[in-house]
Amino acid sequence: MTMAMTNPAVRRRRRQRAFRVAAVGRWAVTAALVMVAVAALYPLLFTVVNSFKSRAGYAQNPLGLPDGISFDNYVETFIRMNVPRLLLNSVVTTLGGLLLSTIAALFIAYAVTKLRIRFGNLLFLFVISMLVIPSQVIIYPLYETILNLGFGNSYSGLILAYAAFGLPMSTYLLVAYFRAIPDELIEAARLDGAGELRILFQILLPVSTPAIAAMSILNFVWMWNDLLLPLVIMGGSDNTTLMVGVALLSGQYDVSIPLVSAGLIVALLPVIIIYFLFQRQILNGAISGAVK
Amino acid sequence: MHSTAHQATARQKARRGGSGLRPSLFLVGLLVLPALILAVVFKLVPLVRAFWLSLLKTQGFYDPTFAGISNYRSMLRDPMFEDAFRNALMVFLSLPVWVFMPLVIALLLFQRTPGWKFFRAAYFLPYMIAPVVVGIMFRQILSPDGPLNAMLISIGLAPLAIEWLNGPNSALFSLTAVALWSFFGLGVLTYLSGLSTVPQEVVEAARLDGAGFWRLLFNFALPLIRPVVGYWTVLCMSGMLIWMFPLVYALTRGGPGSATMMPEYLVFITTFEFLNRGKGAAIGMALFVFVAFISTFVVRQMYREGRGRQP
Amino acid sequence: MTTNDTRRSFRLRSLAASALVALAMTASAQAQDATTIKVLNWQPGGPEYWTALVKAFETENPNIKVELETVPFDRYPEVQGPYIATRSGPDVMQQNAGLELFDRRVAYQELPAEVLAAGDDLLTRSGGCLNYDLTQACYGLPFGFQGNVMYYNKAVLSEAGLDPANPPSTWQEFGDACEKVKATGKTCLALGMTGVFPAYWVFPEIARNYLTEDDMRAILAGKMPWTDPKMVSILQAMADIPTKGWSNGNAPSISMLPDGADIFASGNAAFAGTIIADAVNWAAFGAALGDENVGAMRWPAVEPDAPLAKSFSGTESAVFGVTTWTDKTEAAQQFVKFVAGVENGNLLTSLGGGIPLNSKVDPALFPKSGALEQIREIIKKPTIHVGVLLSGQETDALGRGWQEVALGRLSVEDWVARMQVALEESPGKN
Repeated sequence: MTMAMTNPAVRRRRRQRAFRVAAVGRWAVTAALVMVAVAALYPLLFTVVNSFKSRAGYAQNPLGLPDGISFDNYVETFIRMNVPRLLLNSVVTTLGGLLLSTIAALFIAYAVTKLRIRFGNLLFLFVISMLVIPSQVIIYPLYETILNLGFGNSYSGLILAYAAFGLPMSTYLLVAYFRAIPDELIEAARLDGAGELRILFQILLPVSTPAIAAMSILNFVWMWNDLLLPLVIMGGSDNTTLMVGVALLSGQYDVSIPLVSAGLIVALLPVIIIYFLFQRQILNGAISGAVK
Repeated sequence: MHSTAHQATARQKARRGGSGLRPSLFLVGLLVLPALILAVVFKLVPLVRAFWLSLLKTQGFYDPTFAGISNYRSMLRDPMFEDAFRNALMVFLSLPVWVFMPLVIALLLFQRTPGWKFFRAAYFLPYMIAPVVVGIMFRQILSPDGPLNAMLISIGLAPLAIEWLNGPNSALFSLTAVALWSFFGLGVLTYLSGLSTVPQEVVEAARLDGAGFWRLLFNFALPLIRPVVGYWTVLCMSGMLIWMFPLVYALTRGGPGSATMMPEYLVFITTFEFLNRGKGAAIGMALFVFVAFISTFVVRQMYREGRGRQP
Repeated sequence: MTTNDTRRSFRLRSLAASALVALAMTASAQAQDATTIKVLNWQPGGPEYWTALVKAFETENPNIKVELETVPFDRYPEVQGPYIATRSGPDVMQQNAGLELFDRRVAYQELPAEVLAAGDDLLTRSGGCLNYDLTQACYGLPFGFQGNVMYYNKAVLSEAGLDPANPPSTWQEFGDACEKVKATGKTCLALGMTGVFPAYWVFPEIARNYLTEDDMRAILAGKMPWTDPKMVSILQAMADIPTKGWSNGNAPSISMLPDGADIFASGNAAFAGTIIADAVNWAAFGAALGDENVGAMRWPAVEPDAPLAKSFSGTESAVFGVTTWTDKTEAAQQFVKFVAGVENGNLLTSLGGGIPLNSKVDPALFPKSGALEQIREIIKKPTIHVGVLLSGQETDALGRGWQEVALGRLSVEDWVARMQVALEESPGKN
């Protein structure tokens, strides 16, 4: 840096000025950050507050705090949506999709980076280029294909679709990560007589937890929150995921905004809970896997 | 055995950039097939079928007949088609904001502003909220007599209290802003992890050296975390249109008129609401070309980072 | 259930289905195993009514279990579309009468006379038949009556200096009333323009002022161009509503359900054009505003001398039909018959807030409501509901065009041109 070449007197003067600017600047920065935080948190707060209002209460006072707290909207949400069942559907399909896409990505990333196979790079290119096919473009033929395979309206159909759509990004992350792991490590294990699968699961897997964690968060969030694939593959009613349930609730006859708000909070709660439980892991470690 | 000799050749091989022995076919199959099957069966095959479908005339639910390019002709006649792609392009033009806004925020947090841990947690929360939920929430917040306008009026900015979702430009702007609201937290976090590899002393020294915030941003941070910026740009470009769909679905349904119509939403309503699967597939193919064109850059970047040196 | 190669073996499958029916009939005599039928529906009348309906049906048919797949009305096509396209899924489906049913008739079995006989007590069931003609093929049986009225808030009218006993009955009077309501700071007509509601809830009420029933049948057949002066007049009158400032300012960006109806239910609007049954009806508004404050009237007449201006755009609220791919035809037919029967009519009246079509329904079951009495008067002169004759494209273009007209970005002429394109692009109408 240039610092080394500047003489001490100039440095001192600069330092004093820097502190003065910093004092003012720090306030401005904090104010800006607070504003962004308010913008980030307010919509959720607004929804929570509304979910405790009665229909009439919301009509008279849509913006303020409710007069009293009413849980009627939550009771109604549970009556209208089979929440436990939808939650189960969401958990099974998200975890299934997560697991399958992770395993498939681990396998192919290993094959492409650590095995001498022909067309390795081509395979890698093929898998990541699937990224350019958005789900909306192929949604109908995809659904037909899933039906042809006998997976319509079933967990397996949605899990396979999730896995396929999570695959390109996961593969990309893992391949980039595996490349950074020195081949010597693997050579040594091979010489010790370890099989390839053992090398993958006992050596590479532990080392690449940050990358796996990062892609798991990306995948978890989009799979849990996805609308299109479950809407089309699973249909309506009890078969579908929590997120589709909420989207459908909002379109239902005779709903009110407080009721929809309660539905939104119910759908959000599992994610929020996970976020608070694993906050440190998510915020500190997880994403760093993506950037090495 | 000739273990030392063996070891030597293996090392040599490894140094030459390759690795290991040529693996058995069974092993390769086991490792490659799951991903290959997923990619082929659930992405490539549907894409080919979509292309075939786009050449068929699908009369309601009767058996389809071959129709050549008539679906494409009908697509070009549709005024909504043009609007949808123009809107998509407009959304892509906001990419610099998507890339730099989180970077600026991350840099502010990186200077260890008091309470930065709270801010970081708060910013990431919107990302966890499902876009469909976000859409429904913001329909209330952005309504003319909703909280946003109430706030603007109360702080004396009444002229800014516009009908966010009603105007031709303001609706698309609002939609993009809501999408950004929903995803900037992930960007902040990504940049923060990138920045964490930059030693604090370097930044401190630069600041003491009198480097202003912008110089800090452009001269120090950017060059050091360029790979992270690249990664985030890739994520944004490949994700923007996909992220938009549930928002359009829950917030505007492409309206008013076609002000926020997006190609993927047009495919969806043409297929499932107008029951015109052939034309829906044709619009889908146009979208595929559009996305492929834009993401070629992305995929090339990804490939460069991930490919091995050996042929 | 196999779903492969559905298209190719379609005819074969119906043969197989009838064979299965025969099999099922002999089998049911021996085995007491319950058959489970899946019923796709949007739960008109609310969850409480549907729970009671299923319970009553299962009590009457102990061998049949009903599994409901409930999808909201305005998301219905998106869920149903894939089922029909792949010929798989539910055994019984609910469908709007009119074009929606005709478009999808490949999905429904033609009901045999024995099943249709269960509809003998219904005031009308032609909406389940081809071209509204009882002598042609019929695909479903209805149970309730549906259509549009305009509800008004008597308290808001009084506040504006209007006579709640004499709400406006012509377009002119409505405009004058709106000026007075707006002077009090409230919305005159609560409106939301996104989704299917402009087509289903507003369009038929204006269209009656310009069309004859033959014109309406021509719309169903795709033989009435939007460039016809009558159709242009309809769009012009619709355009007047927002441009004259009668509706709420955010109408172009909100949906009638729940947002638009919420404005009225919260007492912030004088009028709202919604439906007579299922939801956002006299019962829902009565609960929100007090029964004494809610009145129901015909939409004000744009052309008071038009032959159908004083009629009611009524339609069978929905019909239930048996799908072509089901292998449980007999059980499914049993359900369709039950839906049309008097027991369900009674449930609909007492629990669902609906207006039953079955003439044997006990009149004492009707709840006491002034607005309901007004509605029962209004529906005595029914005509065709032209909203349900529009195609998906027309429905969509109507709503989007109206939004842009309301925002001053589209002329009525251009709206007409777009409607014509939508008509020409409608697979079912060409």
